[in-house]
Amino acid sequence: MKLLHTISAFVVFLSLSAGLSALQFGGRNSYYYGKPVPSEFYWTRLQYKSGYANGNSFGFRSFRGGWSRDYPKADNDCLIALRRLTHINSPSPLNVADMDSDHLFDYPWIYAVSVNNWTFTPEEAKRMHDYLLKGGFLMVDDFHGTDDWEHFMAGMRMVLPNSPVEDLRDDDEIYHVLYDINEKFQIPSEVFVNTGRTYEKDGYVPKWRAIRNEHGRIMVAICANMHLGDAWEWADSPEYPEKFSGLAFRIVLNYITYAMTH
Amino acid sequence: MFEFFFKYPRSVYAQGHFALLGAWPAWLLVLFIVAAAAGLAWLIRSRIGEAAPILHGWRSWVIWGLQSLLAAIVLVLLWQPAMTVSQLKPQQNIIAVLVDDSRSMGITEDGATREAQAVKALQDGVLDGLKKSFQTRIYRVDDHAARVDSNNSANTADDLKTLQPTAASTRLGDSLKQFSQETADLPIGAVVLLSDGGENTGGMGADVISAFRARHIPVHTIGFGHEHAEHDVELDDVTVAPRAIAGSRIAAKITFHHRGYAGAKLNLTVRDISTDHTNKDQGKLLAGRTVTLGTDGHQQTETLLFDIGNAGAKTLQIAAAQLPGEQNTSNNILTRVVNVGADARHILYIEGEPRWEYKFIRQAEEDDRMVQIVSMVRTSENKVYRQGIGDAKELADGFPSRAEDLFAYQGLMIGSVEAGYFTPNQQELIRQFVDRRGGGLLLLGGQFALADGGWNASKLTDLLPATLPTQGETFHREADPRNGTTHTTAELAPAGVDNIITRLVDDPAANAAKWKSLPYLMDYQDPGTPKPGATVLANSITPEGHKLPLLITESFGRGRTGIMATGGSWRWQMSSPLGDTAHDLFWQQLLRWVVSDTPGHVTASVPAQMLLDNGTTTITADVRDPQYNPAPDAKVEAHILGPSGVSALVELTPVPDNPGQFQATWNAPTVGSYLTEVTAQRADAKAGKPQELGRDVLTFQRMNGVAENFHTEQNRELLEHLAEQTGGKYWTSPELSKLAAAIPYSEAGVTVRETRELWNLPLVFLILVLLRFSEWWLRRKWGIV
Repeated sequence: MKLLHTISAFVVFLSLSAGLSALQFGGRNSYYYGKPVPSEFYWTRLQYKSGYANGNSFGFRSFRGGWSRDYPKADNDCLIALRRLTHINSPSPLNVADMDSDHLFDYPWIYAVSVNNWTFTPEEAKRMHDYLLKGGFLMVDDFHGTDDWEHFMAGMRMVLPNSPVEDLRDDDEIYHVLYDINEKFQIPSEVFVNTGRTYEKDGYVPKWRAIRNEHGRIMVAICANMHLGDAWEWADSPEYPEKFSGLAFRIVLNYITYAMTH
Repeated sequence: MFEFFFKYPRSVYAQGHFALLGAWPAWLLVLFIVAAAAGLAWLIRSRIGEAAPILHGWRSWVIWGLQSLLAAIVLVLLWQPAMTVSQLKPQQNIIAVLVDDSRSMGITEDGATREAQAVKALQDGVLDGLKKSFQTRIYRVDDHAARVDSNNSANTADDLKTLQPTAASTRLGDSLKQFSQETADLPIGAVVLLSDGGENTGGMGADVISAFRARHIPVHTIGFGHEHAEHDVELDDVTVAPRAIAGSRIAAKITFHHRGYAGAKLNLTVRDISTDHTNKDQGKLLAGRTVTLGTDGHQQTETLLFDIGNAGAKTLQIAAAQLPGEQNTSNNILTRVVNVGADARHILYIEGEPRWEYKFIRQAEEDDRMVQIVSMVRTSENKVYRQGIGDAKELADGFPSRAEDLFAYQGLMIGSVEAGYFTPNQQELIRQFVDRRGGGLLLLGGQFALADGGWNASKLTDLLPATLPTQGETFHREADPRNGTTHTTAELAPAGVDNIITRLVDDPAANAAKWKSLPYLMDYQDPGTPKPGATVLANSITPEGHKLPLLITESFGRGRTGIMATGGSWRWQMSSPLGDTAHDLFWQQLLRWVVSDTPGHVTASVPAQMLLDNGTTTITADVRDPQYNPAPDAKVEAHILGPSGVSALVELTPVPDNPGQFQATWNAPTVGSYLTEVTAQRADAKAGKPQELGRDVLTFQRMNGVAENFHTEQNRELLEHLAEQTGGKYWTSPELSKLAAAIPYSEAGVTVRETRELWNLPLVFLILVLLRFSEWWLRRKWGIV
């Protein structure tokens, strides 16, 4: 009987371990929405480790971790807009690039959210550093307030220790490469529908920021104190104001076009 | 031995004419010979049965042949054969002795200089032999001919002492022509030329030989110097583009050969020895490479790549390091001049869709300030985004529709754009851009490019370096970047191994390996079949293992065209280690090829930028109007600045039958570098004053005495050719005792025609005896004697 208990406890332990492992590393196939179609542009979301886990990011690299927030609907809606409104060849379904893999270099444009949660090993930081300096483009979104910014920058300083972050002016080329975006405002998450607030935490002011390379090319486009992903995702919601979604779509299409021309 | 059998010198037979002195006509001789042969045949046939049955068959024919030949020779002798030959009248003709006194004759071989050997040969009997029958005159020849003795000179030895091998150059052709002209009134019976055959102009002109043939003057040549050096390395030639864009990477193609160093290592260097460098002797090292020397005497070619640096006139010194025991080190160095322009070149790049190739090509050119890309890309169905424009109006109306707008660029790059995007007028402009304007056109692969973009049915098919496939669907993207079995890779074609466009690493073998190690391409396109005359520099290897041309180039009209059949080379940047320059270097070199040779409205040139010993050069200018049509009504001037304050303004005159071409001949008076600015202008009725069409700058350099250091081995071929063509003979030192005997038989000068009978030649009697002996021996062998 004692042996039976021991065996049962061991089986339960194994099952829990397997489940945790699956949550962390398994289930990759669930990120993919069909076989890749040969494309010029792959909408690619960055998969990273979450070091500042909160209620939305159980585990460390699991599906539904911080990196996958609003995935896939936000990304999919954006991809549809990209196909409809630009000349960019992008028939392939959504794509995920892992910070741990050199396949990151196959996709010169990546989108990352909740970057206040990201952490890098030295190897990953080096990979992202090389990715950006070789010509890659990173768009970060959905983090709010002072603490989030500090956490984001902690990761960013591992990647680009000496590169300054600057506020983008309205006349910057990135806002005129496809659409002339002369007026920008804070783009809230779907929380706005219930609260009417456009900010979260202490992120009262939208930050349109960037990090450039030595030639002035924007490598990292930063959308702080905003949540463009929600604006794409909730674009078909009657309660979510169109003006936020409209601006969010124009912004991301400009960023992608900029990334492919600069 | 010859005279033992033939009684007379070889010259008698070479110069003379055969004649039959007998009174009877020659046809009668032929008749007699035939009759004798027939009679002998009849006699043998009629008597063979009873006298010698054993001679039946072929043996009778042999006997008949021997007897007939004997009869024929006897009959010919009866007709009195002879040679009639012109012979110089004793003491009435002049034999000119020409001694090469150029510096190469000062090379010491076998214990004495070539000059000393020549003088010794003259003193050891040649001159004395000639003086027995002729007057002699001694000349020195180098870049001209000059007499060294005088009519009343009593001591030839003193005259010969004045010959010193110090002249800086040898122009045997010019010297001989000058000699011929100056002695036109003299009874020159023959010329004896003592030389190593060094000819700095490269060869002997036909006009020189004609001048001597017209006067029937034989030129006897005596060669000095070894025909092959024992230990030497010589640079034969260096090819460097005469003009380049500042900061360009250019190639020096070095051709050289060696004697006696097969398998040895040789260090080749290129240095900038322009005056702006403080250490002028050494100069700034631009490139260097150690190569292994190949087969003895065979020409070997190596290419060194280097960055030419800032704008200005550059003097490059190309050198082969001295090897142990090398006899002549003066032929290890060559000099070239390159005019490096400061004007940036502009490429118009039109792209049909935002894509990574566009971005990374632009990124590669960020560091190249001399090549600027002005681009337009269709971002959406109805939007075009412009980059690199000079002002808001540039390309505001889309792709240029006027020649002056399109021709403002030096290069044109067309990406993933359908042929139908361009109007018929624009397509014609593209053709004229290459053909008339001389611009470079590069087409890239893409989903709307080449055959898939309808370019195979456009009016520009003849412009392309390949015959595009007739069907579409030639563009293929990488199926799945994560799948290692679907990749397309690139490798160099043989022509690309040492090509300036595809050179990523200096060493050719390492370069080929580097290409094979490049990351796979994100896509490829089948460009069809390269046209004759096109060059395939690189191939792509498809996932199925098929080899397709990747990079094809071709010259077209005044310009050049190329196809880079992919839009996915950007992976070379993203998937190579950070700091790897392969992608950027390739595109910088490719785009420089697109624009570097695009001419302006005025293109000036000289036949050779290095003027060796002779300062005369011809300046040619090709002048075009704003639409790049020839401008024959232009006024073209060359302003030349040279060393020691040399300054000249030369007007160039139109070249007949070549509209827009202008030429002027000018002589660079002194050694040094010359900077020439050629300007063209023409009357403008509207402005009421001359309108400048354009200007160009070229450089050339005069050097004296350099050519004499090269080709120092005896040029026997030239000496033999000269002698053969003029009726003389090439002599070597051991044969010189017979020279005097050969000289008299000449048709030049004051001659008498003499007859030399041949009936009493020892050879004739020997043949007659042999014929009789042969018949006797055969009869004895066959048992009928």
